[in-house]
Amino acid sequence: MRYYETIYIVDPNLENTILEKTMIEIGQELEKTKAKIINHRDWGKKRLAYQVDNQKYGSFILLQFEIEELSRMNDFNSWLKLNSLVLRHMTVSLDQKPDKYIDKTSVSEVAENDDIQSTLDKNDKKIDVEKSLDPETTETNKEE
Amino acid sequence: MAFQNKRKFCYFKENGIVDIDYKDVKLLRRFVNDQGKIMPRRITGTSAKMHRKLVRAIKRSRSIALMPYVENNFE
Repeated sequence: MRYYETIYIVDPNLENTILEKTMIEIGQELEKTKAKIINHRDWGKKRLAYQVDNQKYGSFILLQFEIEELSRMNDFNSWLKLNSLVLRHMTVSLDQKPDKYIDKTSVSEVAENDDIQSTLDKNDKKIDVEKSLDPETTETNKEE
Repeated sequence: MAFQNKRKFCYFKENGIVDIDYKDVKLLRRFVNDQGKIMPRRITGTSAKMHRKLVRAIKRSRSIALMPYVENNFE
């Protein structure tokens, strides 16, 4: 068993629904080769360093999986090449088993908490103002 | 300009980086000049082992259009 990572660029002007459809389609095509998909996620829209198919931007999608024989990948590779929505793709072998990607929502929550803590440390005055806006905290202030 | 005796060091050994990811463009940009050429080891001070990994990562990110083959600054 070895772990691989495929990165592919999709036309950035696609709607989200069509992009999700193509992602599912590509996932199904890969599963035909008896590969186990670990991660399949949208990496976001990025500016390309040079134009590819007359496109200046592209949405990057990461696909990490494990497979026994890479020779089975040949059909998948040629299928991706013929796919008109995929501008470019590349498969790379990984040294270690990739970690499962955690959804953005949970990560953003942690980031928000961090932000709050940092603001708490930096300027207490601002938070005092915010607290006074809340009805519950205002009551406590009055008691004090 | 006075002679500067600036110590060269391997950025990766200093920061404990073992594997170089081709997706980390921000890091790779350090080791490329304005034209987009890979800087030689004698200038960056990278160790031979890490330089080989670095070159591979830069070439990979070039082929997937994350980094340029040639940078044109006149545009």
